[in-house]
Amino acid sequence: MNRSAKFLGLALAVTILQSCASLTLENVDFTWPVESVITVSATNTIEDGRYSLVCNVAPLAAKEFEDSTALRGASLRLLRNPEGYYFLTGPKFKHVYVFTTGVGELSMKSAIEVSQTGLVAPKLNQRPPYIELLDGNNQRRLLTKDEIVEEKK
Amino acid sequence: MNRISTLLLLFSLLAAVVVSAPAQQSDYDIKTTFEERVATLKTSIDSAKSLVALDTLKTAIDSLDRRYAPRSAFLDKARYPQTFAGTMTELRDRHLMAYDRTYLLQTQGIRISDLESQISSLSLRLDTLTIERNKLFQDLAESKRSVAAMRETIRKLATNLQAKDRLLFAMIDSIFIPYGKDLSRVGDMQKEAITHKLEQANVVTRVYDIASDNVTFLEATQLQGKDYAAMMDQYATFSNRWKGLREKMVAVATAPTPSEPGATPAGKPRAGMKGPSITTAPAPKPAPGSEVDSILAVWNERMQKTFWTAIQKEFTDKAIPVNSFSDARTFSESIRSYVQMAKTSGEDPSVFVNDVWKARIDKEWREALTKDAMLGRAEYAALDKLVSELGAQKFDLRFVLYALVVLALAIAVWWFFIRKPKPASTPAAKKS
Repeated sequence: MNRSAKFLGLALAVTILQSCASLTLENVDFTWPVESVITVSATNTIEDGRYSLVCNVAPLAAKEFEDSTALRGASLRLLRNPEGYYFLTGPKFKHVYVFTTGVGELSMKSAIEVSQTGLVAPKLNQRPPYIELLDGNNQRRLLTKDEIVEEKK
Repeated sequence: MNRISTLLLLFSLLAAVVVSAPAQQSDYDIKTTFEERVATLKTSIDSAKSLVALDTLKTAIDSLDRRYAPRSAFLDKARYPQTFAGTMTELRDRHLMAYDRTYLLQTQGIRISDLESQISSLSLRLDTLTIERNKLFQDLAESKRSVAAMRETIRKLATNLQAKDRLLFAMIDSIFIPYGKDLSRVGDMQKEAITHKLEQANVVTRVYDIASDNVTFLEATQLQGKDYAAMMDQYATFSNRWKGLREKMVAVATAPTPSEPGATPAGKPRAGMKGPSITTAPAPKPAPGSEVDSILAVWNERMQKTFWTAIQKEFTDKAIPVNSFSDARTFSESIRSYVQMAKTSGEDPSVFVNDVWKARIDKEWREALTKDAMLGRAEYAALDKLVSELGAQKFDLRFVLYALVVLALAIAVWWFFIRKPKPASTPAAKKS
């Protein structure tokens, strides 16, 4: 009897926890209408006022330029696509970095190579379902979170 | 030199707006360029000293509007909570006020700040009167038990409403007078400025409120005969002033539209309104102040109804069976019909003539009845004559009756005392 009650209680708790975990809000649109142009501070942080996003970009500088302080004073372009991925790039970058959110972190989903020599004046535009990357000389690329899907000059 | 450099700056501004963008443009650049141009235009408007400079700035604003209207949906999102329409409206309003300020200073030597403080002072006094009015309406509701207190409250309330009426039209005059009497000679920008001031001073709403207060006043009070004359005068004056104001409003509202359909004075999009003004089809404009026309019609109808009902009561209280009436024509017909009936039936019309017509209608209601909007002097005089003749006719018959009675008495006296037959003489007397 006592054993049966314990079993029932356990089953009930599992059911409740399961129902809580399965709650999903679907069709969320994370689109930012326009990119944020953010200057990297002396402490290697970027801060977006409109969307209240603050993060340290020293690891990014280390990965792209092999120098964790290389981005100080640089203007980075950050844009979030409808799915919620962050696209980040800047002048002299050879890649567009795609990040996804975690608990207290932005983790790299992919690094899409977009230039052999480094971008000159990159700009990101929201062109659902893609992100448009413009650079000097009228270069235009359409990006997904993983790759370049279209390239025009 | 200074003027030339100002003009050069303005033309460069215009050119910057007109020059087309490169084929591939960053959304961020579109947003920031728009914001920079708006900021530059604002600075230029604030520092402009001549109408020529402001005319050029107007063209620059129109151009900016045309150029960015197709991007308005994007700008609304990117600049949230600010909207494209709201920004353009703010810019146009700023330009309009600057234009008006410069125009009045250049042409009339009037400082707009003086005018605005005058309008502001009048607005404040109007608002004070509105607060007082609210209290008086409350007092009226509470003082219904005491006739004297009620009469005093009614008097104060009527004075308050008349004062509001006067102040409002003084304020309207303050708005129009600087532009001269002939509004057809006033430019489009000034017309737009007048419309803007009328909107800012909340003129139409204030006119509506006064008319509405009078309707409430009529519903809440039981006026006496003599009160109506003043009330009718107030209505006529108010109505005429409103007609004059409406004509002026029509004159300034029909100014030719600027290049953007959405930027007309009457159809100007208000701040916060979404959507590009350039692509919005102009909605059919309602007649300016049509709501005021409606409330004025209600005021007049209510006044007429209470007036004729109160007069009818004068007759019914004395059980005079006149036909019911609801306006000047039916009143006149009713009185004529009753007089005719009294003449033919021969019934005693003294109550009608003396107690109602002479004691009440002629004393209490004549002033209101003789107004042109009611019977008019001639018709009232005609009715008064008819009623007087009816009284006089009855008086003559009575006089004849009295005369006949007196005559009969006189004959009787003469017969019995003066012409008493002498006793016949006896034979004995004859012998002696």
